[in-house]
Amino acid sequence: MTPRVLISLTFAGLIVALAALAGWFAWSIGASEAPQQALRETALVYSIGAALAAVVLLGAAWAMLDRGLAAPLTMLARDIETAARVDTEHPVALAGSDRLTELTTAVAAMMHELADARRRAADTVADASRRAESEKGQLETVLRDLHEGVIVCNLNHQILLYNRRALELLHMTGEMGLGRSLFTVMNRQPFLHAVEILSDRLGGGHAAEPGDEPMPDATQPFMATTSDGRTTFEGRMRLVLDADREATGYVITFEDNSRRLAALGRRDHLLNEATEGLRQRVSSLAAAAETLEAFPAMAAGKRQAFEKVVFDETRHLSRRLDALAAEYRELVTGSWPTTDVYSANLLNGVVRRMRDDRGIAVVMTGLPCWLHGDSYTLVELLDHLIARVREAAGARELDIEAVPGDNCVYLDIIWKGPVIPAGELDAWLGATLTGAWGALTARDVLDHHKTELWSQPHRDGYARLRLPLPSAVGASSKGDRRRLPSRPEFYDFDLLRSQMYSGALGRRPLKSLSFVIFDTETTGLKPSEGDEIIALAGVRVINSRILTGESFSHLIDPGRDIPKKSRRFHGITDEMVAGKPSIREVLPAFKRFVGDSVLVAHNAAFDMKFLKLKEAAAGVAFDNPVLDTLLLSAYLHDHRTDHTLDAIAERFGVEVRARHTALGDSLVTAAVFLRMIEVLEARGIATLDQALAAAGSMTEIRARQAEF
Amino acid sequence: MTKSVLVVEDEPNIILSLEFLVKEAGYTVKVARDGEEALRAVAEDRPDVILLDVMIPKRDGYDVCQTIRANPAWKDIRIIMLTARGRAAEREKGMALGADDYITKPFSTRELTSRLKQILG
Repeated sequence: MTPRVLISLTFAGLIVALAALAGWFAWSIGASEAPQQALRETALVYSIGAALAAVVLLGAAWAMLDRGLAAPLTMLARDIETAARVDTEHPVALAGSDRLTELTTAVAAMMHELADARRRAADTVADASRRAESEKGQLETVLRDLHEGVIVCNLNHQILLYNRRALELLHMTGEMGLGRSLFTVMNRQPFLHAVEILSDRLGGGHAAEPGDEPMPDATQPFMATTSDGRTTFEGRMRLVLDADREATGYVITFEDNSRRLAALGRRDHLLNEATEGLRQRVSSLAAAAETLEAFPAMAAGKRQAFEKVVFDETRHLSRRLDALAAEYRELVTGSWPTTDVYSANLLNGVVRRMRDDRGIAVVMTGLPCWLHGDSYTLVELLDHLIARVREAAGARELDIEAVPGDNCVYLDIIWKGPVIPAGELDAWLGATLTGAWGALTARDVLDHHKTELWSQPHRDGYARLRLPLPSAVGASSKGDRRRLPSRPEFYDFDLLRSQMYSGALGRRPLKSLSFVIFDTETTGLKPSEGDEIIALAGVRVINSRILTGESFSHLIDPGRDIPKKSRRFHGITDEMVAGKPSIREVLPAFKRFVGDSVLVAHNAAFDMKFLKLKEAAAGVAFDNPVLDTLLLSAYLHDHRTDHTLDAIAERFGVEVRARHTALGDSLVTAAVFLRMIEVLEARGIATLDQALAAAGSMTEIRARQAEF
Repeated sequence: MTKSVLVVEDEPNIILSLEFLVKEAGYTVKVARDGEEALRAVAEDRPDVILLDVMIPKRDGYDVCQTIRANPAWKDIRIIMLTARGRAAEREKGMALGADDYITKPFSTRELTSRLKQILG
């Protein structure tokens, strides 16, 4: 019974009682022998009046009590109930009541506490889940990237967990999946046997206390075959134990050793062939040759027959030898640790090492590409060679470059000075490389990469050391340079006119100038309508060398969203630019990088427009002369219509392996530009002014009427 | 005038065959058995073509080739390198150091003769 009802009933009862009393009083007065009518009437009026007053008072009291106390109390009760039931972290608003402030405040405080407590609990749970998720993620990563296959099974040999490598190794055999039996893909005997052995071993130590070290022989090696018999695996098994040290299942790690076994087999076979396999042939040859020698007076016909045997057997032996040598070469490749290596990483390592350890300045030039080798020993070798070259040729500065060749990549060390004679090189190669493991000589490193080393003249006064290395094996060597739809060409005559000013530089030959070839990535194609720069990269070219090691490359926060449509061109997302410096900070740095160099870009008007629009905000001005490779290409090949960077690169024979990033495009443009300079010279364009004029003459022809 | 060939080789059995072959092909032949002897022979009596084995004592075939090419007076001497290893890099090294042609052992004698004829005309 709620307080409200109780109060109502009580008051109702009181009022009824009062009414009854009044009624009785009135009746008793009426019924009594009271002296006067008037007195009786007065008494009646007074009593009725009193009764009424009492009723009113009671009613008032009831109302007051109800509204001030009972109703708020009921509402409070309901509110508390709601707050308790509804799982909200926010304190439920309480209908206030002046009479109940103390109670309300206390309840409000308690609700607050409740909300807080709920929030804390939620936070703790979230935290714990996050940690569990992250640990699970880490475990998954470890499992996924394990080179071996990992499978966890229960005691019924059903698969509970497996990693990607396991799937790779087994999926050909049959349906592998969670809950399926392991024996649909692998033959059962080895596993049953291993489980038995491990269980026995475990059983023996059952008396051990929980918390003791696990048994030393807790793993069991096994060799298993897939159910179709095609692949053999070598692996280890371990039991999974619960808190009571009871086995609940097992974990196996395994690897396909069939290839290793096959390689071993081939090696054995090769050795055998090279020795015993030739025995028969050599015997025939020896017999025939000896007979010829022993019987000089043999008849001519017979003699010829024996000579034919000698001839045939030697020819056969020669062919066999070639085949064996080829097979040997193949085998040797497989066993030395080599990987695909990105030349920029390798050469950067060398540059840093020479600078930090030996104080020798080496400059990385040229376009990076992928090669295949053992980067560790290569760095040791190059370090050794460069130090020797410096000593022998007295070279102050050396360039190092990776040059793609026919199915190989040449590492070239270039210096101003004489060629190193072959005899001297040979002596260097006999030296042991310090820092390389084992007593590895430089020649050993060459042998492991199946290559040679030599020195030849480079160009007027320069010499080079050339080391051919195999091209990369993996798909990465092809680069992910898809042909993208080209950016529409952009022209701005005002801009073009301002860039034609070259001053004293104009008369200098192109080859003597320093250039900065640059490229931008932007949010879109409309520089004057709010599109912004999101990446800026540049690379310096001095003396016909691309100084790859000193490039400028920055992502820029554009202060606006990057439209999704533009992403397929540059692959830059909002997350990638968040927190990066703004154009106001990057542009001055770029200005410092550029200095007085001539700027070069593909469809330079586009990039320059963006730069110009930001000059004021960044407080820098680019008044360098600007050359446009697109216009120069149009000048050189005016019969062609395709002057996109990729098309031009192909036309000028530049191998494009860099991705479509600002830096990648800058490098390709630089390589193309260097080729262009040669062709321009052949056409009589040797100075900067001449080049600017040539480019300018194409603008009229190529410009579109676009309002940008 | 008969063309002259310098055979630079240290393996006697091969020298036997080469000497014979070259004579049969109608050229005069001289033999040097190591790198230093080879350079002396070239200086004394300039040959038209040198059959140069890579693996020879004292100074190896590459060294001899590079030294000969470094002398502008000898730029007309044709050099054919003979090698016992089939690596692509070795062939490239020989050509880069100035060899005109390159034969891998074991070679067929017919092949050798035809190359000589080709290179000498």
